[in-house]
Amino acid sequence: MAINLKKLSAKQDLLAGGHAACAGCTGPTVIRQALLAAETPVVCGCATGCMEVTTTLYPFTSWRTPFIHSAFENSAATMSGVETAFRALRRKGRVPDREIGFIAFGGDGGTYDIGLQSLSGMLERGHKMLYICYDNEAYMNTGIQRSSATPKGAETTTAQAGSVKAGKDQNRKDLTAIVIAHNPAYVAQAVPSLPNDFMTKVQEALKADGPSFINVLAPCHRGWRCKPDTGIEIAQLAVETCFWPLFKWERPGRLTITYKPKEKRPVAEWIKLQGRFKHLEEPRNRHIIDELQAEVDRKWNELLAMEAATQAAQSKAG
Amino acid sequence: MSSSRILTSGNEAAGEAAARAGCRLYFGYPITPQNELTAYMAKRMPEVGGVFIQAESELAAISMCYGAAATGGRVMTSSSSPGISLKMEGISYAAGAELPVVIINVMRGGPGLGNIEPAQGDYFQATKGGGHGDYRLIVLAPWGPQEFADMTGEAFELADFYRIPVMVLADGLVGQMMEPVVFRDPPRRELPPKDWALTGAEGRAARRVVSFYIGAGVLAEHCRKLRAKYDRIESCETRWAETDVTGADLALVAYGTSARVCMEAARLARQEGMKLGLIRPQTLWPFPKAVVRRRAEEGMPMLVVEMSQGQMVEDVRLAVEGRAPVGFVGRGGGGAPAIAEILAAARALRKKA
Repeated sequence: MAINLKKLSAKQDLLAGGHAACAGCTGPTVIRQALLAAETPVVCGCATGCMEVTTTLYPFTSWRTPFIHSAFENSAATMSGVETAFRALRRKGRVPDREIGFIAFGGDGGTYDIGLQSLSGMLERGHKMLYICYDNEAYMNTGIQRSSATPKGAETTTAQAGSVKAGKDQNRKDLTAIVIAHNPAYVAQAVPSLPNDFMTKVQEALKADGPSFINVLAPCHRGWRCKPDTGIEIAQLAVETCFWPLFKWERPGRLTITYKPKEKRPVAEWIKLQGRFKHLEEPRNRHIIDELQAEVDRKWNELLAMEAATQAAQSKAG
Repeated sequence: MSSSRILTSGNEAAGEAAARAGCRLYFGYPITPQNELTAYMAKRMPEVGGVFIQAESELAAISMCYGAAATGGRVMTSSSSPGISLKMEGISYAAGAELPVVIINVMRGGPGLGNIEPAQGDYFQATKGGGHGDYRLIVLAPWGPQEFADMTGEAFELADFYRIPVMVLADGLVGQMMEPVVFRDPPRRELPPKDWALTGAEGRAARRVVSFYIGAGVLAEHCRKLRAKYDRIESCETRWAETDVTGADLALVAYGTSARVCMEAARLARQEGMKLGLIRPQTLWPFPKAVVRRRAEEGMPMLVVEMSQGQMVEDVRLAVEGRAPVGFVGRGGGGAPAIAEILAAARALRKKA
């Protein structure tokens, strides 16, 4: 099931250019890679957010797939309905009997926060569909407000940095772990800077027997206050620092880390490239970098332990 | 911030006015075109010793308002049309529990996700319920940043005086436009003590804040009490502004941004010898039906101008009751009505009248 770039290059991009996303946005890159990876026809939905408003400016659309949008909090629910209708029609012989992939997209606001309920419902009911969160770590479409995916210490327009506050107080929510707790068919984290890894995961997710979820870190240069041409580089550095570990989790509990940095770089290197963390350089805020590092280490060690447990179980079974 | 005149946006002016009125609990959630207000409160609330929380959804934000208002605080939330729809359950609960909550709606185009242009399509939602059940909100309609500030400040007084949720119904233009604003103290009222607030029952009898009345006839009695309160508000708090209506050929009836466009239409109409007055409701509920009826009795034709396909016009017609011709110029889907269209409709209505 290896990704063959040569073959992919001959495929049509299912997200057309000419959309209104900012130059240097990694969101469309995430969607293009996901759609290129799909081996069957796909039907897509997207929650309200950057990717929805910039790709569907009526009467235009960038989507060369069937596409549906309804609101901010319900991409997973809307696509649950689409998938259910397809299953029913297929059962009754009203549509051709063939495999179709269903993909719901949502940003972190629409997935971690207001859309968490409908995501959870979709996972629990067991719809055979893939949810892809393009996680740019804040409400970027409405002007950079904090979300529960915003990392501690990052400045947003509603988590400001100054003499009293130093950006967001809380650590980011570990949504991927929450999704795993539902025991769905397939869960993964990915980045657009390693397309082979991400696209392999999309293929595995779409083939999985049940609901699947991929959380993709998608840097936003407007909100992260970095240069427009550094999104991919910063995504990769998030992986190299283990801020954003790449792994997949398969039912009933097999965890595989799909990319291990040769040398785990300090999270400070990743922070340094982003203006949203600029105030952390001040001596009084340095402790926040240490706290971020501690949180990264905690999560990374947890994943290593989960992977070791998976391997131990496998060798025992083997 | 000093009390001298400053240049600011309507959204930020409303935020500052709320802080000055004693709002110390603000619960928000992002949505365009009101984000400047949320961002302002994120900065301002900590400065005045208040609390800013960005909720995980509009439903959460209005529920936080419910909880905080029950403790007796001055609380506010703000949003724009689709987000206000999500708040409706909580607004109905606050109305039922008689909680003073200030809700700001910076309207945008709808229905659905609509667009982010200024609009007035939420008139029905704001004035006729919106949420479930038999309730009213006081609905204030500012037509610029100064009035947005004034009305937001006064909304807290009204909410506490009547123990009622108050909505300030602005639109995207009023929220985003910048004008000079002077922050004035709202007219202070002698407020009833919050002897219902949940402040800890040690040393006193327990209190209850509820919107659940299951016993036979209990809810009917509660609703009668609410109705009496609404009657009191209708007789005491109805507000409007009239400009050049006496002796006019016809009266334009408009609120918010539409009223600003009407002022310019009236100025241009004078150049062609047509006298247009303006009746501008400042409270949409209670609606100023008495003034509309009085003008109708004088035989004054009315041209209602709205940034919707016709909502307030129904209240105008109810007040006019056929006594005078009523015309309508509206525009759905966001954006201000065109002056040329208003003038054309005014000429036609004048000819007919």
